[in-house]
Amino acid sequence: MSAPLIQNEQFVRVAAPVGVGLIFLVLWEAVVTAAQIPQYILPGPTAILGALIQDWQSLLTALWVTLRVTFAAFAIAVIVGVAASLLFIQSRWIEMSLFPYAILMQVTPIVAIAPLIIIWINDTTWALVVCAVIMAVFPIISNTTLGLRSVDPNLLSMFRMYRTSRWQELIRLRIPGSLPYFFGGLRISSGLALIGAVVAEFVAGTGGAKAGLAYMILQSGYNLQISKMFAALFLITMTGIILFAIMVWLSDRALRNWHESAISVEH
Amino acid sequence: MSLSSAFPRAVSPPGVATIMQRVDDPIEPEKPGGPRPIIQVSDVHKVYANGTVALQGAELDIRQGEFVSLLGPSGCGKSTLLRIMAGLGDVTTGQVRWWEQNYDVVGDKGRKLAFVFQNATLMPWARVRKNVSLPLDLEHESGPQANARIDEALQMVGLKGFDNAFPRELSGGMQMRASIARAMVTEPNLLLMDEPFGALDEMTRNKLNDDVLKLWQQNGWTVVFVTHSVYEAVYLSSRVVVMAARPGRIVDDIRIEQPYPRSPDFRVSTEFAGYCRQVSESLERASTMGQEKQP
Repeated sequence: MSAPLIQNEQFVRVAAPVGVGLIFLVLWEAVVTAAQIPQYILPGPTAILGALIQDWQSLLTALWVTLRVTFAAFAIAVIVGVAASLLFIQSRWIEMSLFPYAILMQVTPIVAIAPLIIIWINDTTWALVVCAVIMAVFPIISNTTLGLRSVDPNLLSMFRMYRTSRWQELIRLRIPGSLPYFFGGLRISSGLALIGAVVAEFVAGTGGAKAGLAYMILQSGYNLQISKMFAALFLITMTGIILFAIMVWLSDRALRNWHESAISVEH
Repeated sequence: MSLSSAFPRAVSPPGVATIMQRVDDPIEPEKPGGPRPIIQVSDVHKVYANGTVALQGAELDIRQGEFVSLLGPSGCGKSTLLRIMAGLGDVTTGQVRWWEQNYDVVGDKGRKLAFVFQNATLMPWARVRKNVSLPLDLEHESGPQANARIDEALQMVGLKGFDNAFPRELSGGMQMRASIARAMVTEPNLLLMDEPFGALDEMTRNKLNDDVLKLWQQNGWTVVFVTHSVYEAVYLSSRVVVMAARPGRIVDDIRIEQPYPRSPDFRVSTEFAGYCRQVSESLERASTMGQEKQP
């Protein structure tokens, strides 16, 4: 006899958060209806769903604009982050000289420097991409560098006994060993790329054909279309969750045979 | 050339003598005409950057075909000495020679040494076969001959059929077997083992001890084996080198004059008990000497 569905880990993993979400939405709708809260202050979930259906075309166009910036920024952050990590592990001197500047990028508030970047770069889309890259690159640099350095010293000794080249050491030992750290960085970075894109859009206030979801939120706020504002917010949140889920899936696929983080524990 | 046919059968524990500082007699003269020295450690001192004296005046010769155990308490420098023998650590002063030559010949073909670490030290992301073939991959050896060597090594350690398993799918004992197979594929002349079975249960440990002895005899290796266990050292070795801590130094060299192959019956014999008592007393003396030197 097959086990009850409730004992299926995969099912519970999806069903539990969905259940909590549904309960929250039902309560939200009940409170809004019972207290007769006007839609321009707090719309209920059904009103937001209505806005999603009614404005789906403009919302999807805006989503695509934001997604393009997010994906471009994320891809560049991965390339730049991995390249920087490979550079840092070449010598402690290089790492000590450059790592503080990587931290500087991380701790500088993006809203403070976004206006400058938008002035310096004529193309608005690229300006937004640069802002999002600045947000997203640090976790990849930090995690991948840590991973490339966290090599089993005995394995490293063995490689050195066979007088392997630095290239062999990198390809056969450091890169495979750093994958769990790298994927950890990707999970954080994917969300930050989206946040960076949205924050930069807010600062740029780009309208017209280049209007992303952030501009949609601003515009809806000015027009007191709070349901539409929530609908745009919902799309941003869903995008973030989907990006995170994709990173988790990729990580599980890559590490499922050997790393504790991707191996399901059998009780 | 196959692993088993590559080397002549191991010579019996040779009647070699070493230039070594003893507790009771200062210098034992070397007998002429013994097997050639594989490693000669001469007056080696090792001082770490923080001032810890890991080794003080270590003198030790390891000769062809010997099975030598380095025995001593934690911190006596036995692993440090083994790593120096492997060329993995520098000496502060003194000299180490391999095959009567200097350091550069360690990697020469046909005179290879292999190292088995305290943990299995396998690459967790690679399957057993890939782990075992690593030394050959690093030396760009491939093709049917390399494959045959990997197959034979896996067969000899009893891991045939586990080629495609990942290390996490193996027990601790099987992981150590994979580690030994990895050392074997290089067809080493000298095998250095750093407490390889320390983390295993006694039954697995005894089984692996027998396996290592069998492989040592079949392949004509010279083995240097670091251990904490008096029983393990006596069971396996032709010589037990006793070390003391603070500072790390060699204090005794006890020859175990028992023929090979050694069966589990040896473990319950009066000779075994006698050797264990002798080695334990030597360890006891060594630790007392260490305490006397404490402020």
